[in-house]
Amino acid sequence: MRRLIPVLLLSLAVPAAAAPALAAGAAEPVAVSVLVPITGFLALEGTAQRNGAVLALDKPPAGVSVTYQVADTATSPEVAVTALQRALDREQPVAVAAPIFGTQMLAMAPIADRAGVPLVTVSGTAKITELGHDVVFRFFPTDAVVKVAQARYAVQELGMKKPAVLYQTTAYGQSGREHLARTLKQLGVEPVLEEAIDPGIKDLVPALERARAAGADGLLLQLHSGPTALAVRQAHGLGLGLPVVAGSAMHQPTTAALLEPDQLTGVCAETASSPVSEADPRVAAFTNAYRERFHSEPDAFALGQYDGMRMVLAAVADGARSPQAVRDWLAGRRYQGLAMDYVSDGTGNMAHDAVIVCYDGTGRVPTIMKRYDAVDGVR
Amino acid sequence: MIEAAAQLAVNAVALGAVYALVALGFVLVIGAVGAVNFAHGELVMLGGMVGVGAAMLLPADLPVPGLLVLPAVLAVMAAVGLAVAGIAYAPLRRAPPTAVFIATIAVGLIVHHGVTVGIGPEPRRGPPLIDSGILDVAGVGLAHQQLATIATAAALIFAVHFLLQQTRFGRRLRAAAQDPEMARAVGIPVRLTIAVSFALAAALAGAAGLLLSNQYLVTPTDGGALMLKAYVATVIGGWGRIWGAALGAFAIAVFETLVAASASYLVAEALLYLGVLAVLAVRPQGLFGETTGRRA
Repeated sequence: MRRLIPVLLLSLAVPAAAAPALAAGAAEPVAVSVLVPITGFLALEGTAQRNGAVLALDKPPAGVSVTYQVADTATSPEVAVTALQRALDREQPVAVAAPIFGTQMLAMAPIADRAGVPLVTVSGTAKITELGHDVVFRFFPTDAVVKVAQARYAVQELGMKKPAVLYQTTAYGQSGREHLARTLKQLGVEPVLEEAIDPGIKDLVPALERARAAGADGLLLQLHSGPTALAVRQAHGLGLGLPVVAGSAMHQPTTAALLEPDQLTGVCAETASSPVSEADPRVAAFTNAYRERFHSEPDAFALGQYDGMRMVLAAVADGARSPQAVRDWLAGRRYQGLAMDYVSDGTGNMAHDAVIVCYDGTGRVPTIMKRYDAVDGVR
Repeated sequence: MIEAAAQLAVNAVALGAVYALVALGFVLVIGAVGAVNFAHGELVMLGGMVGVGAAMLLPADLPVPGLLVLPAVLAVMAAVGLAVAGIAYAPLRRAPPTAVFIATIAVGLIVHHGVTVGIGPEPRRGPPLIDSGILDVAGVGLAHQQLATIATAAALIFAVHFLLQQTRFGRRLRAAAQDPEMARAVGIPVRLTIAVSFALAAALAGAAGLLLSNQYLVTPTDGGALMLKAYVATVIGGWGRIWGAALGAFAIAVFETLVAASASYLVAEALLYLGVLAVLAVRPQGLFGETTGRRA
């Protein structure tokens, strides 16, 4: 039943979401499928993905016309695979905006590989670009980039020597913890506490008290949105007074909205980008268009997916009108996006930069404190 | 050190009191129809969301916003409970209990996806019951919200106790739960009584959701974990045993908080489920005995 409901929603959503976007004097339309988790535990990130993709596809470059359909992949690989097969059969897309959920990507990649259709995603799961499928393109830095930035900032800029690491028991949390531990070791720092936390845990005071008892001089968080807000709030309530460098969930405006500005004082986060913080007029235009269209604030996932779809459209504008041609274009070209410059490392990892944002306690819009470019050595 | 211990103790009691409310509503339906309401966790989440929405309608500077919206949450959720009874129980009342629990799974999923699609997937923060201040007790700062949560949950639990034990309606409800045929024979409107059980259970779930939503936030995906807690509490306390489930839920929260503070969350979780296995092996009827023979 849990799997049937999303399929039913998907059937309802597809006709409603179908939309052609035509530029003046456009050629024969190309199709793009947007298959992302709009329901389930990744709905927050999936909705940002959908919004970013839709914003990009709604305004194609001159000479390009595009039709797109949105479908919900929910939380199971089966629903995602069904959605992909359905899209391949009915729409013949030149590219697919694919789920942030790594488990779904792993199930979809072999099918997309056989069809030669590129999957454009912001999923952080390392494996999706390690299995030899040359159709996966990731427009969000992996943990090998953002966790390095997080650890470096904590140690080199904030001077942490005895951090406590709180991480989620999910694949997301464990992957982040591994990369954090590796980088901290390279920096000569050993965490005084590493605590795994199930997403269903409601009270983080026990972990925070153990961090205090262990003599931690800072907190490194690798938690989802709700638990991140809870940790920051409860740390403030306990008066821990420790600097916090959180995972990318903390940069999301929806997470900051759960906290009062004074609770955010001294809280930092790693992320690929922070659209609401950028002064660049192109990013500001994106942010304004996003607010106007979706009545919410964009995050790095939305901007990463937007950049990915804009790169697909740039390929089409350059004459790539088949899935294979678009794939080759993505694999071989450099693209200047709004968040960063994108180029494949040969396996489909397109994003190699990270930023650290911090809140100053006066508002919920963070400031970009430090940029880490080409962290994985790819320029 | 003393402050940390006091803070942990207050947190554990507050969480335990709310979990007891969740379990109380859960077991009321088991008692009434002999089947599990798998939508119960989603009803807790929905109650939190209703509280968030109701608070947005209040002027910003009103005092005690959470307490002001509590009656509205109870009323809305009672109506939702009646709807759940009408959809997931009434048409299936002559079917085996498995049909009812499958129907409640469907209702739970509809609530979950409806909330996600309708108002968005992001976590939300409900209104504080009183305010976000701190009470200084002998040098130990205790959050007003936690103390108000304990007081409100305790008041609701005692109100339910009074309703079930001291009123004619409560006696009818218990009679209908214990032997529906006999109750019907002596003129008790069993179907109405069962519908009211669903309404009462949903209202308690809604209150629990509101109490959790300020301190611990509310997310559309919260239902599953809360449902599991209620189920485990019922197994520990005794299937269908109302106060056993409430005490079981309270014990779970206190145990988890204290073990997590001294060891880790993973140890707490592992020991909790080892304890559940031990209860099932040694005393399968639960610590306080079983009142409902059928399990679903």
